[in-house]
Amino acid sequence: MIEVSRVSKHFDEVQALAEVNLGVATGEFISIVGPSGCGKSTLLRIIADLVESPGIVTKPNKGAFVFQDSALLPWRTVQGNVELLMELEGVDNKKTKANVALRQVGLDGFEDSYPHQLSGGMKMRLSLARSLVLEPEYILLDEPLSAVDELTREVLQEELYEMWTRDKFTAILVTHNIAEAVYLSNRVVIMSPRPGKITDIIDIPFKKRTPDLRTKPQFSKLVNEIAGKLRTWK
Amino acid sequence: MEVKKIIPPVLILVLFLGSWHVGAVIYNMAFLLPTPYAVLQTFIQDFNIIMIGLAQTFQAAFTGYIIAIAIGIAVATIMSLSKILERSLYPYAILLQTVPVVAVAPLIVLWFGFEIKSIIIISVIIALFPIINNTLLGLKSTSKTLVELFDYHDTKKLTTFIKLRFPAAIPNIIAGLKISAGLSVIGAIVGEFIIGSGSEQGGLGVQIIYAQANLETSLVMALILTATMLGFAFFITVSTLGWYLLHKWHESEQ
Repeated sequence: MIEVSRVSKHFDEVQALAEVNLGVATGEFISIVGPSGCGKSTLLRIIADLVESPGIVTKPNKGAFVFQDSALLPWRTVQGNVELLMELEGVDNKKTKANVALRQVGLDGFEDSYPHQLSGGMKMRLSLARSLVLEPEYILLDEPLSAVDELTREVLQEELYEMWTRDKFTAILVTHNIAEAVYLSNRVVIMSPRPGKITDIIDIPFKKRTPDLRTKPQFSKLVNEIAGKLRTWK
Repeated sequence: MEVKKIIPPVLILVLFLGSWHVGAVIYNMAFLLPTPYAVLQTFIQDFNIIMIGLAQTFQAAFTGYIIAIAIGIAVATIMSLSKILERSLYPYAILLQTVPVVAVAPLIVLWFGFEIKSIIIISVIIALFPIINNTLLGLKSTSKTLVELFDYHDTKKLTTFIKLRFPAAIPNIIAGLKISAGLSVIGAIVGEFIIGSGSEQGGLGVQIIYAQANLETSLVMALILTATMLGFAFFITVSTLGWYLLHKWHESEQ
């Protein structure tokens, strides 16, 4: 369970975040959507303890943060990158765990490749693999799929969904892609800008995600409903 | 390497040597402008003594270069650790670059004597700034996202430095080392000029002064050529090291 209470943020004179309260149940997948500058990335960084803030955040011990641009070390091979976080966290049996993790995301055979030799999708799979290998209780994702093309993006959404159902971590995803939020989440949190605050939380009722879900009328209806709410501040 | 890549620079060399030769023949004053062939002959004839000079200059330049690398990377690392230290030290690093070393060199010789120690110090002073500057630039331009990743995992400062900041700075460090390779040789030659004196047994700089005094122009040129090759050899060594470290992952070496 992740609990955010009375979190706010000022950058100099500008109030970036008004008082924000949010509870995320264990094993829940939550997405945060909102226009640029609504402070959704800042909120995620406050939860991650990367940005200081008054207010209280409680979260499980073991977590991972997935960044927008994969955040791989360019001088390390795929193998070296998937072992990086285990090194930082002092995890044993790095090699065996790395091999399993790479196989799970279909990167076995690329152990000796360097990040610049991988496609955008493969980089993100590697980034996810090195986080999942920590067996985190929660994962924070900061627009992880915004750098890949539309087709890859949908495939990665499906893979991310499978990871979530398999490993049962709690997830908070920041995205500006509404369909992505609806596809992946149990609940979608809508934020408004200046100062950033939560205006709506939409329940997503789908029990199971399959690719054809995107073509269902109920799916489009939810996407349109959220888009409508976001358009209010344009 | 492909033959096609070698042709253009070789063509320039042939063109250069050709016009030099023609110029020297037309000018017809061998003691002022000897032909390339005459320079080559002098080089062969005085090979032993030139090699003695080369060995001395190499020793001074190489020692100076290594010391400059050690001090340069250390100082840049210290500066990268804190804004205050950077602000206090950087102006003096710039002074190191702007001080006319040729003018300071006599002072250094006064302080440290007419020996190789002074030559090494002058070489260090000349070679130091590009290493400090480039290393500092590299250490300060670590990707913000990667720093956040390491911070998120509560990584110790030292670990972050070893696993992230330093390797990320290697392309810049190599760039600095490449500039300083030639500078360290220049520094050694300047130092030898100041120490000068009449011995024809000294380093390349000493021998140049001696040959100049005796109007042995072809020997001066043969010595210049040797000093140039020495700087070039330093450069090639560092470039090879850079290629070895970077070609697998960095754009600059692909």
